[in-house]
Amino acid sequence: MALLEGRNLRKTYRLGRHNLVEALRGVDVTIEPGEMVAIIGPSGSGKSTLMHIVGLLHAPDKGDPAPELRFDGRDMTGLDEGERTRIRAHEMGFVFQDFNLVPTLTAMENVMLACDYAGVRGEAARAAARDALELVGLGDRAGHRPSELSGGEQQRVALARALVNKPRLVLADEPTGNLDSERSADVLATLRRFNQEHGQTFVLVTHDPEVAEACDRVIRVRDGRIREAPAAAAGPVATPAAADPAAPAATGVPVASAPTPGASPEPDHGGAGAPS
Amino acid sequence: MRYLRDLARRPMRTTLTILGITIGIWALVVFGSMASKIDSLVKGGSTYYADKLTVTDASGSMGGFASAPLSLSVRDQVLKVDGVTAVLPAVMLLMDSGSSAVTMGVPPMITGSILGSDQGHETFQTRAAEGRKLTPADDGTMVTVLGSDIARKDGLHVGDTVEMRGHQFEVVGVLEPTLTAPDQAASVPFQAAQLLLHESLPPVVRAQVAPDDLITTMTVYPAAGVDPELLADRIDAAVPNVATMTGKDFDQQIGSATSILNAILVGIALISLIVGGLSVVNTMAMSIAERTREIGIKRAIGGGRGRIVRELVTEAALIGFVGGAVGLLLGAVVVLVANEAGRTSGTVLFELTVGTAVSAMVFSTVLGAIAGFVPALHAARLDPVTALRYE
Repeated sequence: MALLEGRNLRKTYRLGRHNLVEALRGVDVTIEPGEMVAIIGPSGSGKSTLMHIVGLLHAPDKGDPAPELRFDGRDMTGLDEGERTRIRAHEMGFVFQDFNLVPTLTAMENVMLACDYAGVRGEAARAAARDALELVGLGDRAGHRPSELSGGEQQRVALARALVNKPRLVLADEPTGNLDSERSADVLATLRRFNQEHGQTFVLVTHDPEVAEACDRVIRVRDGRIREAPAAAAGPVATPAAADPAAPAATGVPVASAPTPGASPEPDHGGAGAPS
Repeated sequence: MRYLRDLARRPMRTTLTILGITIGIWALVVFGSMASKIDSLVKGGSTYYADKLTVTDASGSMGGFASAPLSLSVRDQVLKVDGVTAVLPAVMLLMDSGSSAVTMGVPPMITGSILGSDQGHETFQTRAAEGRKLTPADDGTMVTVLGSDIARKDGLHVGDTVEMRGHQFEVVGVLEPTLTAPDQAASVPFQAAQLLLHESLPPVVRAQVAPDDLITTMTVYPAAGVDPELLADRIDAAVPNVATMTGKDFDQQIGSATSILNAILVGIALISLIVGGLSVVNTMAMSIAERTREIGIKRAIGGGRGRIVRELVTEAALIGFVGGAVGLLLGAVVVLVANEAGRTSGTVLFELTVGTAVSAMVFSTVLGAIAGFVPALHAARLDPVTALRYE
């Protein structure tokens, strides 16, 4: 069973009285457990919006056709804000672009915050936090405040926090955005390790092709819609120009070739991630 | 506590905000103590005068105190009035001939009365902490029993000699504190009081009266079931040149003045407290706005709205609590110092009750919490994504 399935996901934001922004215009997405998926796209493409919906931070707009969103088989579209928050606390982990640690708390306390929100307190929380920090290699820096940690270390603490409750899904928004290439590589390596050794499902939003390269699968977003290219098992990510006509999913590029079996007539309509 | 770390982010700002509450609570404690003291004096007086009448010279009395001389023979006239069961003649004069009778507190006084003439009707009793009280056997001697404040001010004990209005008196007793007028009085035998009163009169008057005929007040005890108001009117009608004060008169004279004073005092304190509270609102709003991104993170990783509001309100309540504690402490210091300094002149103005202290702490903490509530709610309601992107 897919970990997460979304259909007809739309989101329009109102930025001021006369300014409506259609961030997402009808998107289908599926995430399988154990996958490491990148959502890539230029600025304003709607990739972050997609992550926000997948991460239950925002609810998809209602309308016709009705949106569907199932997480672990459960319907998410009928949930109110409090219920979505609870699920985020217990079953999801988040890493944001700007480290996003609470500056007055130590690394350990920052990680324990996630435990607290999931209802885990006291010694159990402390033990879990310690383990999580060990896993990211910061066990000896647990008592340090963010100001005493380097950028890469802060990001790893954020990752520990995201992982401490052993969530079904970890979402990371530009996790390497503020890091130099060496630190970025470190963070990516850590993510890969978790994905491969522990089967942790990751969804990474990024505009950095290197991040995309490290992932199993890439979902390309542009102008609020999906074009997607599955990453080859070994080798570079398939670019639109080199699309293999035999590939099951539509590439969305209006190549003047015969429609492939899985392609829909409209190149711009997002296809499902896994062949189904 | 973690909350202290958040407050410590901007120590100067937190300190100033706390100071705002502190000043308000300090004012509440000091002025509230003043109001408490006034209340207990008034209540003490009101209870005392409720069931008796005070007859004085026609010039009247202020709150039961009069210093114009009256003839002892008036007693017999009063005793004849229907409804009077007992009359206690007394002499009261200021201990310090120089000071005025109208002060904020109770001035030190010398009193003497015909012991036993109340025939057991007097319900207000004082007790001796040291030594004994006066008895009829002391008549004609120069002894005195001191009120607790008088004794403490000059460090007097049984066996000491004290000079009052040019005469030496031997201290034979010191009373326990009553927190009302007797603390500021020295009681002497009736004749001694009469002597002192005689000496204080202008020479012209002095030549015409005998000391043993002098009194300044008479306490009149009504018979059971007799309405004091009606009795007062009868006495005023039957006996010439006297004024009779009832419990109601006392309440009217003193009560209305003090309740206005109380209202003003407490009003001032409350206004300063409101200003302090607004300062907390302002500080919390600023502090929360600065933490918008942080709040966004907490919400995103699963912190519920209610949880966020609780944390922020607790922080604000802590500001209130600390401000209240410091204000209470400073207020208590002022009360203590002022009372000690004022004891010498009889102006013990403050009474810091447990009730005032507890109310101050509760008030400041709740005020802090309320002040933090609206900014906290506003922050928790923000969309986490918007909050995260806040610059």
